[in-house]
Amino acid sequence: MASLNAGKGKLNNSELWAGVAGLVFGTLVIWSGHALKVGSISDPGSGYVLFYTGMLIWILAVVISASAVVEGGRTFAELWAGTRWSKPFTVTVCLVAFSVLLEPVGFILASIPLLLLLLRAIEPVRWTLALPLAVLVPLGIWWILSRLLLIQLPSGIFHVG
Amino acid sequence: MDVLVSIAHGFGVALQPVNLAYCFIGVLIGTLVGVLPGIGPISAMSLLLPVTLSGTPESGIIMMAGIYYGSMYGGSTTSILVNIPGEAASIVTCIDGHQMAKQGRAGPALGISALGSFIAGTFALIALMLIAPSLASVAIAFGPTEYFGLMVLGLVVLTFLTQGSMAKALLMACVGVVLGLIGLDSITGQPRLTFGRMDLIDGIGLVPVVMGLFGVAEVLLNLEQVIKRDVLDARISRLLPDGKEWKASAGPIGRGTILGFFLGILPGGGAVVASFASYALEKRLSRNPERFGKGAIEGVAGPEAANNAAAGGAFIPLMTLGIPPNVVMALLLGAFVIHGLQPGPLLISQNPGLFWGIVASMYMGNLMLLVLNLPLIGLWVQLLRLPYNILFPLILIFSIIGVYCSSNNIFDVHVMVGFGIAGYLMRKLGYEPAPLVLAFVLGPMLENNLRKSLILSQGDLLVFVQRPISATCLLAAAALLIGPSLPSLRRKRELIALDEGA
Repeated sequence: MASLNAGKGKLNNSELWAGVAGLVFGTLVIWSGHALKVGSISDPGSGYVLFYTGMLIWILAVVISASAVVEGGRTFAELWAGTRWSKPFTVTVCLVAFSVLLEPVGFILASIPLLLLLLRAIEPVRWTLALPLAVLVPLGIWWILSRLLLIQLPSGIFHVG
Repeated sequence: MDVLVSIAHGFGVALQPVNLAYCFIGVLIGTLVGVLPGIGPISAMSLLLPVTLSGTPESGIIMMAGIYYGSMYGGSTTSILVNIPGEAASIVTCIDGHQMAKQGRAGPALGISALGSFIAGTFALIALMLIAPSLASVAIAFGPTEYFGLMVLGLVVLTFLTQGSMAKALLMACVGVVLGLIGLDSITGQPRLTFGRMDLIDGIGLVPVVMGLFGVAEVLLNLEQVIKRDVLDARISRLLPDGKEWKASAGPIGRGTILGFFLGILPGGGAVVASFASYALEKRLSRNPERFGKGAIEGVAGPEAANNAAAGGAFIPLMTLGIPPNVVMALLLGAFVIHGLQPGPLLISQNPGLFWGIVASMYMGNLMLLVLNLPLIGLWVQLLRLPYNILFPLILIFSIIGVYCSSNNIFDVHVMVGFGIAGYLMRKLGYEPAPLVLAFVLGPMLENNLRKSLILSQGDLLVFVQRPISATCLLAAAALLIGPSLPSLRRKRELIALDEGA
């Protein structure tokens, strides 16, 4: 509770910024609903539910923000205090890079480095296990999907797989 | 007599070799994901959703259902032996189950858990067979007003039971509705929130959303902490409980079964609520409540029976009304839709083979689970020793492939990664993803029924309170929304609130 009150009245308050994000999202939804035509109660248009859901989001975001200002909330640093934040961060970067490279590079060539990186960089698995796993798992998946189930996986500009 | 003929027909479908094989694969995967902490039935089912396309609708749905109730069995093994819940519905089993294991009574704890689950699962199936057809015949008379009321109640119950702030849970539900409305308007055909992208014309897929929010986000959260698994080293002997243990467990199993089944039917409820409620009930009824938390077998038998009965009960609203009461059932609805089937009041009359086949397969699955969970316990213990640093890269690669194969579209992989990051941040900030996913599935149906009701009633809002079912549902929803402002109800809500992602 002490840490919650710490962010009271301060801008470095994760709860407050989450509420502000809600306000921005709610505004976008209200605007979209309005643009799509709200219609009337007897003839609701395409934007009817969006418009009123946006209003509800806005109200809830105001409640959350107000409660963050009055009661305080954890700072962003406190959210990750005592955790190994670099691990999820590394995995996130790997996943984003993989999703961008999957189509141009192809499944096999993108998956082998991804698996090797995840097996070695996060909590290192010994090389003698990491290497065969990183090579055999993508090859196994590719063989099952492409050969047995006839599901096409991206082969990339190098046409591997 | 009709029911008996239908059951026989169902067993005819379930006993076909291909369906038996799918059922076995389903319960095996279910046990596996139940045993392994960090992967739940939601991730496994969304991963395997595309696989259901390769077979008949019966086979695919039999497998998906098997994963769900299989995970209920498997989850207890991890709770008892490692004191880490394999999946959310087994959290309560940790309390007394692990204490029993530490006292050298792991065998009876595992035994009563599997046998209690089997008894409850069997009861739930019999009740499902008796209740579902009658409810379906009543539900034919339901109009858009009733459906709207039921869906609102389902969403509100889930937000009420979600851990943390109710405002945050409601906000998540609203975001889910908005995301569900992306794509073409089903009434006017107008594109909504597509930003000119063709990939969004059909909306966002359920699989990438669920895999991101539950699969990827869960991995990211697990990696933050050092997961230490203290697997019990002692040899497990005497799996069958003795007479005294049976006597102590009979009442909790019976009560847990009935309570769990009815909580499973309720929209927004499910196995997790049922297990918590059963534990609380047993503790309250016990002559020696101080034994709870110190290895009381009643604390294992009741909740384990309740979560399995709830898993069976949850099929009723989906099969008879077409409304998924929880996220797992929402995924099952996705499996029906993939095969061009619409669960609802007409499912039983139009596809009797499918309905009765699924029900009969669940009975076969329960029998298979008894064999898988008791004699093969040593195998599951070995599996628990698999380190997470090997497991998580495999979970991620299978998630990516599962999502890609569901649509053959790289856009879905981007969506999954995006929702994975969003889900991780949401959980860090105390926003639970379960209401979002249920609202994402119910959103389009909710909108459709609301607009139809308003058009048919020419804008008369009283129509929602003039029809008894809709009025009851909306009143109950209103009570749950207002309730948490009362201090006593707020405390009760905090006690039963769930961590769906656990």
